[in-house]
Order: sequence, then structure tokens, then C-alpha cells
Amino acid sequence: MAAHEILAATNAVVTLDVAIPGTVWPWLVTVNMWAKSIGTGVIFMLFLLLKRYPDQVGQLRFPTIVVSIIFIHIFLLFTLADLHQPLRMWHIFFYPSGSSAITIGAWMATAFVGLLFLLAYLSFIKKDNAQFDKTLTWVVALAVPVTLYTAGLMSQCTARELWQMPTESAQMIFAALLAGSAFMILLGGNKLNDDAKKSLSNVLALSAFMSFLLYMAEYFFGPMKAEEIAAVLEYIKGDGPYTVMFWLGQWMAYLLPILFIVLSRTNKSESILRLAAIFALVGLWLVKHVWLTIPQLLPMS
Amino acid sequence: MQLGFLVDLHLCMGCKGCEIACKVENEVPLSTWRLRVKYVDVGTFPETKRTFTPLRCNHCENAPCERICPVSALHYLDNGIVNIDKDRCIGCAGCVMACPYGAIYIDPQTQTADKCTYCAHRVASSMMPACVVACPVQANIFGDLDDATSNISKYIMKNQGGVQVRKPEKGTNPHHFYVGGGNVSLNPLASHRPDGHSLFNKITTLPVGGHH
Repeated sequence: MAAHEILAATNAVVTLDVAIPGTVWPWLVTVNMWAKSIGTGVIFMLFLLLKRYPDQVGQLRFPTIVVSIIFIHIFLLFTLADLHQPLRMWHIFFYPSGSSAITIGAWMATAFVGLLFLLAYLSFIKKDNAQFDKTLTWVVALAVPVTLYTAGLMSQCTARELWQMPTESAQMIFAALLAGSAFMILLGGNKLNDDAKKSLSNVLALSAFMSFLLYMAEYFFGPMKAEEIAAVLEYIKGDGPYTVMFWLGQWMAYLLPILFIVLSRTNKSESILRLAAIFALVGLWLVKHVWLTIPQLLPMS
Repeated sequence: MQLGFLVDLHLCMGCKGCEIACKVENEVPLSTWRLRVKYVDVGTFPETKRTFTPLRCNHCENAPCERICPVSALHYLDNGIVNIDKDRCIGCAGCVMACPYGAIYIDPQTQTADKCTYCAHRVASSMMPACVVACPVQANIFGDLDDATSNISKYIMKNQGGVQVRKPEKGTNPHHFYVGGGNVSLNPLASHRPDGHSLFNKITTLPVGGHH
């Protein structure tokens, strides 16, 4: 229990109150964010590869779109599963509130899914690569706010001081780049040449480094900004209940993948690069879960 | 008209009459509360004191719950009350996450968000909220903040230096005030909260929406 503010002189103790509510947004929301990172991230990476290595990536157009469709639907499914009244989901479209990031996100995600199916049609049925590439530019443009809206939602949670908009939006973009590059390394396999793989591993390493930097900045400097942040971060410090999961996530998502990427280059090993990608994807789930959960442990009243 | 609440903590004796009246009036299900009274003990024996703090929705002028609700289930009434339309709520719990006062819960029976509405249905019939009627010491003062002659406005004017709101730094502009409050009664981070010293000794966390 965070007790940094409690003065010894007052020795104040809550002696009668209701119990603290359990976790309101559980692991389902973690899966939601994690799957969305992959769903939009692979689109970013396909765009990057098509620009830099058009000859290499031709065959990856359709498989990448399929991966994106699958993970965006996992994201949507878990969003629905987290609702206490899932059958009323249609209210978002018929009674929308423009001030809510949830509404904006739902509308954008719906448009995004429609465009993904259009891309699938262009690559698989029409086989029109020129039109595909032209449409992809618009899909990438929409993928940016689809990635970012969850950061907007988190920042609208006034009660959770830890989730600040500039930091969260950066984290969301880095998470999408990390997850997208990791998945493309696994998906690309032998279809990509060394240069393309190097580009993907650069994106993976840089996004891992930047994400780690942001978390560490929050870890060390966050408590200096607000007592609520200090209290929340107690859950991942010392013998806090989420300390192990937090550091496991940081190592798996960020530090080990960077190390593995360096090793894969010195040893020219593709297996180590794949290991980096797998660690990044698993670690990202842990990192997101810890960051989602810890602000919910704090008593609000 | 902007309705508001003021609780004079000098008068509150922690009888929980308001809590029970609210439960009965609004048929609030087991394990959930629209209004509750928190006890905080201060000091070291023999110099000890017990504080009582009724906690309910603050009906903020700049309500985070209203802003985050994707379907406008949470909405303002003309009299400033932040009301909820349970038939429209989709149960996303965004409001529960956004409320800095922990005043919103998921009703385990309807699986929708719910909270104190200042008894909007009673107010519409020119009656006082149930908690106001039940309070034996008139610690709950309810009225129109826009009317300088209302009891609540007079109380605020009389106690200007001592009127506080919870978490003013959040910028929510609550329409719920306290007189005689201190850091330990209004700031949840200012007191220990050991397991086992709650209304339910063995239960440390409540299931959300009835789900374990």
C-alpha cells in the first residue's frame, strides 16, 4: 500500500470503508492494446518495406493484410468482450458522443477494417499492385490515429495520473513500430533480403530503446511530478506486487531484443533475430499489462 | 440553476443513516454504494480522533465521466446534475476509470454503470434527496448554487475560508463541498488502508460488476 504521504504525526488509518473495487479494465484490455499494436504496426512496416525494397516485398502484400485483419479483429473482439453490455455496442454508432475517445476510436477502427478488406480485395482478387500501393498510403494515414486513440482514451481517464497524453501517444506509436517490425521479421522469413531484415531490426531496436527510455523516465522522474504517480509507481518498486512483471516485461520487450539484434548481426544469425522478435512481442504484452493495471490498484476515495 | 451539495463534517457523526436511506431509495444492490461514509482514525492513543466523511458523486461542472462516455449515457441535466441513462450504457467502464473520486460502479444486476444522481427523480418532484432527509443532524446541505439566498449558498458564504472540494487539482470543479474537512478525510493517500479494516473484514477488493 502506498503510504508515502502519510504523516507519522497524524497516524491516520482508514478504519471503516467499503473494499477497493477490483481491476476495472482487466487483461482483456491488455490484449486489445497488444493486438492493435500488431494490427497497425505491420501496416506501417509494409509501407516502409514497399518504399525501400519494392522488389523484395511484392509477395508480402496479401499476407501482411491478412495478419492485420486478424489482429485488428482480435482487438475488436476483446474490446467487445470487455463490455459489460456487449449487445449494446451498436449504441456507439447510433448515440455517439464526439467528446469520447472511445467513440472516435470505434469509428476510425471501423473505417480501418473497411480499408483493410479493400486492400485484401485489391491484392488477392483484383491483383492490382499499383492501386494497392496507392490505397495503402491512405490506410497508413488512418493507422496513425487508430494507433493513437487509446492514448487519448487513457489520458481522458482523469483519475489515472500515470497516463499522460504526450507520453502515452509516444508509447503507442513505439509499441506499434516494435510489434510491427517484430511480426514482419517473423512473417518475412526468407522472402526478405539482408538489407530489408536489417531495416526491420533497426526499427525494432530503435523503438525498443525509445520505449525503454520513456518508461525509465517515468519510473525515475514521475514521482517528482505528482503524489499519485509516486503512489502508483510503488507497485513496481521494491517488493511491490508488480515489480517482477514490470522488469520481466522491460527485459523481454526492450533490453533483450536489442541485445539479440546486436548478437544476430555479429553472428549473422537469423534465428537470433527471430528470437528477438518473439521476445519483443511477448514482452510487449507484459509491459502493457503492468502499465494498465497499476493505476487501478490505487484507492480513489 | 446549478444544484450542489455541502457536507458539514463538524456535524456528521458517522451514523450512516444517509448511506442506508440512499440504498433503500435507489435500490442499490449488494456490494455497491452510491453514497458511503468513510471512517478515518487519527492520532495515537490516548490522543485519538475519528473522522467521518460521506462520499458520493461530486456532480462536477467539468465531469470526466460525461466526457469519456461514448454514448452520452452520462449526461448533464439543466439543473447541473450529472445523470445516467442505464438503458443506453454499454458498460465500457470508461467512466469508472475516469472518475477521480471512485464514485461510479458497475451495477451487478444491470451490468451498467451507476452512481449518485442527487436523487434526480426526487428533485424533479420538488423533494430533497433521500440522504438529506435521513440525516439527523442536517450535515447534508443541498440546494441551488446559483441562488444567493439558498441554504447552501449562505453556508458557503459564511464558511468561505473553510470550504473545500476533493482533489481540486484535477480541474473537475465539483459541485460537492465540504466544511471542516482535512487532508486525512479528503485525500485518500493521506491515510493507511490496511487490509482487514474495511466494512468487510475478509474482502479486500470488490468484484467489478459482480464478476470475480
